Amino acid sequence: MADSILKEIAAGNRTAVDECLKKYGGLVWSLARRMLRNSDDAEDAVQEIFLDIWKNAAKFDESQASETTFIAMIARRRLIDRIRFTSRRISADGLDDVMVEPADRADMKMQTSLEANDAVKALRSLRPEQQQVLELSIVQGLSHQEIADRTGMPLGTVKTHARRGILQAREFLGLTNPDRSREVHA
Amino acid sequence: MSEEEKDRVLDLLIDKYVYGLNEEESLELVEAGYELDEAESIEQTVATLCLAGLDSSSEMPPELYSKLLKQGHEIADSAPARPEEVQPVREIVLSGGRSTWFGWLGWATAAAASVALAVSLFVPRETVPRADVPPPASPTPELQVVPAQQRQALIASIAGLVTAEWGKGNVAELASVSGDVVWSDEKQEGYMRFRGLPRNDGRKETYQLWIFDETQDPKTPVDGGTFDVTDDGEVVIPINAKLRVRNPSAFAVTIEKPGGVVVSKREKIATLAPVKPGQA
Repeated sequence: MADSILKEIAAGNRTAVDECLKKYGGLVWSLARRMLRNSDDAEDAVQEIFLDIWKNAAKFDESQASETTFIAMIARRRLIDRIRFTSRRISADGLDDVMVEPADRADMKMQTSLEANDAVKALRSLRPEQQQVLELSIVQGLSHQEIADRTGMPLGTVKTHARRGILQAREFLGLTNPDRSREVHA
Repeated sequence: MSEEEKDRVLDLLIDKYVYGLNEEESLELVEAGYELDEAESIEQTVATLCLAGLDSSSEMPPELYSKLLKQGHEIADSAPARPEEVQPVREIVLSGGRSTWFGWLGWATAAAASVALAVSLFVPRETVPRADVPPPASPTPELQVVPAQQRQALIASIAGLVTAEWGKGNVAELASVSGDVVWSDEKQEGYMRFRGLPRNDGRKETYQLWIFDETQDPKTPVDGGTFDVTDDGEVVIPINAKLRVRNPSAFAVTIEKPGGVVVSKREKIATLAPVKPGQA
């Protein structure tokens, strides 16, 4: 199997489809279950997401992002569209999962976990209040107003923490746009 | 753009990738303008952060897994190239002609369905120039800095622009084309901005824009002109409508023979941009 499963899929390799589902099926399913209210919605969304993945496989550019990030981006686009279309809130289930270091698993799972580890490290690099706001918004799906209500922070402060936290995490992850990097330290 | 405006754009981009935007916010973002590189880096950051604590070992229902496997095998079997023929993103061979329109409808998003219906009726007819519309200056506009500046000037100069975002057509290899289109009925001027639309070999094929508006039956959209993509990355292309356009509802780019066509077989629809209600 070549390094890029997606390129193999684009080239018509059936085995790569199997590998893709084994490697990323749990990731996509977990994202869908975390963000959607019920399993029926999640099943529909996962079908749409993998259809997008199969059809966009040739577009994957490993110099731009890892396969895991590429797949997470496709999944989030679909899930956000679905949430906005149905006006349903992101599920608040699974809060216990947040910020837990992945346990040792088989090689295939560990590859996926590398990005999850990066995410945890990026969050941990932030100030506690920034970390809290990003956990509540990106991971749990709460709106800025809901975060303000829950934490007691003023709404403007929540927005500031979200913005600076994302910019700093972007820098930590090596995705920084130099023109905006000054704001990280503002 | 002032620092305050830059901050607002950044806030909108963050909201877009964390929560999604409503129509009003989407319009505001398009009108304000933003760098696609900036947007991509924010999307990647959010996508990575959302993996924190994700238990990727959880398993989906076996029936769903089997369904996805079958679906993936079918698509892999229909792949057009052998492994050694796979091209980099910017150099892919345009080869969507085998997909039928109704086959494409099966995986199109619900949001695009209404536009797909309109385009499914789309049988471009021979264009008859009108006296009130000047003839096109060039069939293949230059894709350099000037159109980008003209686009910004148009956005800055006038309110009530029609805006739309490019989405999927029926060419699988082009499913990730992104960007937007802005159009002014008042000035009869508009610009398409693309990212991920590959360079074409002008000796073999060209892109052609079609505009669906209230003056024309959906079967006979306005010919928006042909163009070639000669640059990687973000490109901005002026719209070259052959007829007066009023209140457009959608824009479609097809892939045609060099010089364009007067009757499209609609085999290769590179990308579609439906105008959302309230943005026209």
